[in-house]
Parts: sequence; structure tokens; C-alpha cells
Amino acid sequence: MKESGLGNYVEEIKTKFSNKIKKFDYNHNEVHFHIRDPNDIREICGHIHLDMEARLATIIGTDERNNGGGFVIRYVFEKTGEDVFMFVIVSLGNANSFPSIVSCVPAASLYEREIRDMLGLLPVGNPDTRPLVLHEHWPQGVYPLRKEFDIKTKVARKEGQYEFVRVEGDGICEIPVGPVHAGIIEPGHFRFSVLGENIINLETRLFYAHKGVEKLAESMAPEGVVSLAERISGDESVANSTAYCQAVEKLLQVQVPDRAKKIRTVFAELERIYNHIGTLGGMATDAGFAFGAARLNILKERMMRLNETLCGSRILFGVNRIGGVRCEVERENQKLILEKTGETLRDFDRMAAFLKSKASLIDRLRDTGKISKKAARDLGIVGVAARCVGIDVDTRRDHPYASYAIHNGRTPQQAMQDQIEMEKRAGDAMSRFEVRIKEVRDSFDIIKNSLDLESDGLYAEIPEAMEPFKSALGYAESHRGQTLHWVMTGENNSIFRYKVRTASFCNWPIMEFAVSSDIVPDFPLVNKSFDLSYSGNDL
Amino acid sequence: MKEKSQILGNHAETMSEEQLVKFSSTVSPSTTKSYEEMGKELKDRIVKLLGRSLAIREVDAGSCNGCEIEIAALTNSIYDVERFGIHFVSSPRHADLLLVTGPASRNMEAALRRTYDATPGPKIVIAVGACALDGGIFGDTYATTAGIDKVVPVDVYIPGCPPRPELLVQGLLLAVNRLKR
Repeated sequence: MKESGLGNYVEEIKTKFSNKIKKFDYNHNEVHFHIRDPNDIREICGHIHLDMEARLATIIGTDERNNGGGFVIRYVFEKTGEDVFMFVIVSLGNANSFPSIVSCVPAASLYEREIRDMLGLLPVGNPDTRPLVLHEHWPQGVYPLRKEFDIKTKVARKEGQYEFVRVEGDGICEIPVGPVHAGIIEPGHFRFSVLGENIINLETRLFYAHKGVEKLAESMAPEGVVSLAERISGDESVANSTAYCQAVEKLLQVQVPDRAKKIRTVFAELERIYNHIGTLGGMATDAGFAFGAARLNILKERMMRLNETLCGSRILFGVNRIGGVRCEVERENQKLILEKTGETLRDFDRMAAFLKSKASLIDRLRDTGKISKKAARDLGIVGVAARCVGIDVDTRRDHPYASYAIHNGRTPQQAMQDQIEMEKRAGDAMSRFEVRIKEVRDSFDIIKNSLDLESDGLYAEIPEAMEPFKSALGYAESHRGQTLHWVMTGENNSIFRYKVRTASFCNWPIMEFAVSSDIVPDFPLVNKSFDLSYSGNDL
Repeated sequence: MKEKSQILGNHAETMSEEQLVKFSSTVSPSTTKSYEEMGKELKDRIVKLLGRSLAIREVDAGSCNGCEIEIAALTNSIYDVERFGIHFVSSPRHADLLLVTGPASRNMEAALRRTYDATPGPKIVIAVGACALDGGIFGDTYATTAGIDKVVPVDVYIPGCPPRPELLVQGLLLAVNRLKR
């Protein structure tokens, strides 16, 4: 059935663009279309995005000049509800520019700017020509992801000024916020243009936490990159390391033992629980309801202590390895998980009911930070942010990994009820609050149903040698949404290219729309309601 | 020389002066004192030296957010450092102490320096987490400066990835104890 799904897409695209596609091939659930001429990408990507209604999942730029491929760009699309990733692959040869697809796929803008900064390829037609990853103090001509660029290079700083969008008019002021914030949070800059208290325009400027993760992976052993993947964003360590390991396992065609798959599921859901509870607590703080926050943070701490008992790390570092997991869940720990999660769920339910009964809190959340379905679709957002406005995407269901396939059995009636509930969601902070509460409960259920562990091993043996220049896409659903890790092998068991796209990268642009009808004091609450990672975005 | 070997044993001879300073100001987990004991001691020191409270500004210089989770945990009702007289403030201008995390990304370098300059003296800087000590897993690359002390002077180092809340309090205690000198 999966094969026929792939086949349908191949047929549709082949008949329409038969003379523009050089060849196509399959790689598990990926179908790759190799395009002859870069000038056709706008038409083909436009067709896939607009007519076939596929979401832009990521754009990957690679420097394959040394192996005769020139610069290569891969556009990855996915269609909701189908386990298929469509790759549109184009080689630019010796050219240093490529046509922008922003006019038909708005979500492509940030990816194209990223490719320009990191690889020095100019997206012709992208209206935003400002730097993204490398801030104004980086000189021209520094392209870290080009193969000739040595990772140890220390680049001299230069003076420069970033051009924010200017809003002008009577009484309009600018408020600059960050990168050092008032709370204990990550660095980012927000530029508000305000009229009185009303936000007229918000511009987010990120990448302060850019640490060169993708380039760094190219100089590390594939097993070492698991630790790096965990540290892409400290609070989504299981999701990111799972996605990375799955990419490598797909490459090596390793079959992960069922026990390991279930352990991955258990830890992924433990991660979702402690983070969602933390976010709900943060929202209570930002709405000025300290009591709610204090109670929820106690539950979060309890879950983090459980994490530590199970794997030695309060934020779940060191769970995964290529081929399976490092961390055993013994019988007594299975009992402990059931006991502790049961206790926490009971207290959580009580707290959720209590919070929902507080009119002053609900009043702050309702209609605050409202996003439209249209904007959400155009920007291709994922995770809680998408589900809060009725866009039903969830990598756990759409592309089952670990042991999630066993939790997907829905009766037609349940599916219909879910759909009705989806349609009711308004896209405001209140709906994100409710979606999180529901997901915490679902996670407890998934954990409960995953603890009948099989008795096969913790990990599969992995072949010693990796075939060079093979690639695969790994994916997982973190508590923020879909995270994608694309790995291409190099010679001598190295990594040639590691492309990471976390949910935060997709979701940050929606923030600028979400606050457009709010006042400045609502911003922290709106920001927390999306709960996006800076480090996961900046890499 | 005797002092050196007391701290380091046989490694003393091979260590440079700079490494030695860093080593002696790095916190190692206490096996004898509980969190509550350390907290009480910290409170006494703070009252004696600073009058009432210790004001901390947290600066993320490109961390993965792991250290922030643990620092934020200090303020929950279980660790609750506020009862020891420790207060996280919103501006470096109100702070006695900077808690800095991350490998100091190049994009945060200028902001970190400006935050340091905006903090009134006498001030203490604590580097929190493995990345903050020497770049950690992110190392010394085009995008990092390989440690907070490459950007601003650091008084105390707290290792760990991330350090547990207990170790953070122990690091604060070490820092406050040095304030007298």
C-alpha cells in the first residue's frame, strides 16, 4: 500500500513534467525527482505545493563540487496523511545562483536565505536580501558549509548595521528587546513598532545561538553526532537524537529491535510530558497567575526526577544510540514509571481543571495571539502551533516511527470526532493551552500502552563500513512539532552533510503574525504559548 | 609549589598558571553537604557580605537551553533559592553576579561584553556548563569563542552538561565565599 502511494505521486509528476525530469528513484518512503534544468524548479515546486497541496518540509543545500555534482539543492515536500517525502533535486553545476521559489512557496524564504549565508548561493527573486545566520559583523565571502571552509577559521569582525523594517508615522515608536532577555531564556532580538500599546509590527531576529552544528557534524564520527543531536536543543534531546539515529539506521538498513523502539517511544513521551507541563506553567506565569505556575513546576520537577532515575539525566541525555537505545528499562523501572506517571497525571488533571475554572486566566488566553489557518498553511508550520488552528499534522501518525504505529488504530467514529474537535480550534493562546493539556494526557496513555516491552535486544549491530554518498531522512515529533534530520555519508565512514530542521525553524515566522492584533504586554504570553526553541532554530 | 601539589597531586607540574587558576575555581560535587545545608550557608554569607540578597542576571551566550532548564529549576517551589536571598533580576544593571551559559557563540559575543560592561562592580561572573568552560561539544570553531572566559573574565566555573541544581548552588557558594577576598 505504501509502494502504491509513492507510485501515484511518481505517475502524476512524471506525466506532467516528463521532459523536465532526468530520472527518479526511491529510498524507503522517499521519492527523488532529479530535475534537468534549475529554471524549472519554480514550476515543479509550485505544482507540488499548490496543486498537490504538499507542505514544504525543508530545503537542503549541499556542496558536491568535489564529487562532480556542483552545488545541489534538494526541496523536500510532504503530504499530510501520507507517509511520503517528495524530493525535488537539482544540481546547479558551476552556477552560484538559483531561482527563488518564494513567489509560489512563501515558506521557502528563510531556507533560501540560510543557503545564501552558509553556501554563498544567491536565490534570484527572493525579495529579502538581508543576512540571516551570519550577522552583520561577518565579512562578505565567508561560507561555512562550503567544503573548502575550515571549521577552525576565525573570521575577523567588521562593523555593520542590520536593516529592520521601518514603520513610520505619527506617534509610532520602536521597542528593541533582546538578545539578553529579562527572564531565564535563550537569546533572540524582537523589534516592536508600536502605537501606544498596540503592536503595529514585530520583527524577530534570531541566530544569536548559532554554534555551527551542521558544519561540526562533518568533522565528527557518526556515533558522536548522537550527542551533538541531543544538544541541538536541550529540551528536545530524545526527539532530535531519535531523528538522527533513524536517518543513519535507514542509510545502513539496520532493523532496530522492537524493545528499543518501545523504549524510544516511552522516552519521547516522557520528554513531551515534562516540557508541555513546563510550558503550561510558563503560560500561567506570563498571565500573572503565580500559583498555577508553582504547582505545575512541581509536577515538571517530579517528571525530571523520574527522568534521572531512568536514564541518569534530568533532561534525557544519553538515551539513544545508532541501532537502538543505550538505556535499559528494567521491570522495576517499568513499575516506577507507571506509579509516578499515574500520580502525576492525577495531580495534573486536578490542576488543569482548576486552571480552566479561573476566569481571569482564561480571559488573558482567549483571543490572544490568534493565528489564521491561511497564514499557518502558507508558512508550513508544524506541531502544537499547527494543531491549535485545526491543521491536523503529527509526524507520529503521518510517518510512524519508533513504536507509534501501534497507537494509530482509530475507529472511524473517533477519527470523525477528532476532526470535529480540530475544526473548533481557534488558533489563539487558549487553544494552544488546551491542545497541550490534551497531549499531556495522550502521552500518559501512550506510555502506559508501551510498557509491555519485548524481550529482544536493546540495539542492533551496525555494519562497520558505510557506503559513501548515500543519504536518508530521519524524522520525529518533538513537543514542538516535526524535526527533520537529513544525513549524507562521506568517504571513510564520515558524515558529508548533516542538515537539521527543527519545528522551531518552521514556526518562528508565525510569531510576527500572531501578535499583530495584540498589545506589547501580551507578547511574553504569546511567545510562551508557542514555546519555540532559539538554539534549535539557530543551530 | 606546595600549594599546587595539594590541589592537584602529580598533575601540578604539568599545569600552566592559567590552567591552575581555572582548576582551583572549578566546582566539584560535594559529597558531604546536602542542598539545604549549602543553601543555609549561602544565606548566611549573603546576609553578612551583601546585607540582604544576591541579585543574579542570567545570560545565555548560545547554550542549548539545557543549562537554562536547570537554572530555571532553582526558582521552582522545590529548590526555591529565593529563600536563601537569591533573586534573578531582569537587568544587568541590577545584578551582583552574572550566570553565563553556552560556548559564547560569535553572534552573542558583543551582547555578552555589553552585558558585562553594564553590570556595576564589584561583580562576579560564573560560567555554567561544559560549553561555558571551554566550548564543550561545540568546541572551538568559526561560530564559537570556545568558552566564556575568552570574552569576559570568569571567577568560578561550574561544569556539567547540564549541572544539577545542587551543583549550581554549590558554585554560587564558592563564588560568594570569594567575594570577601
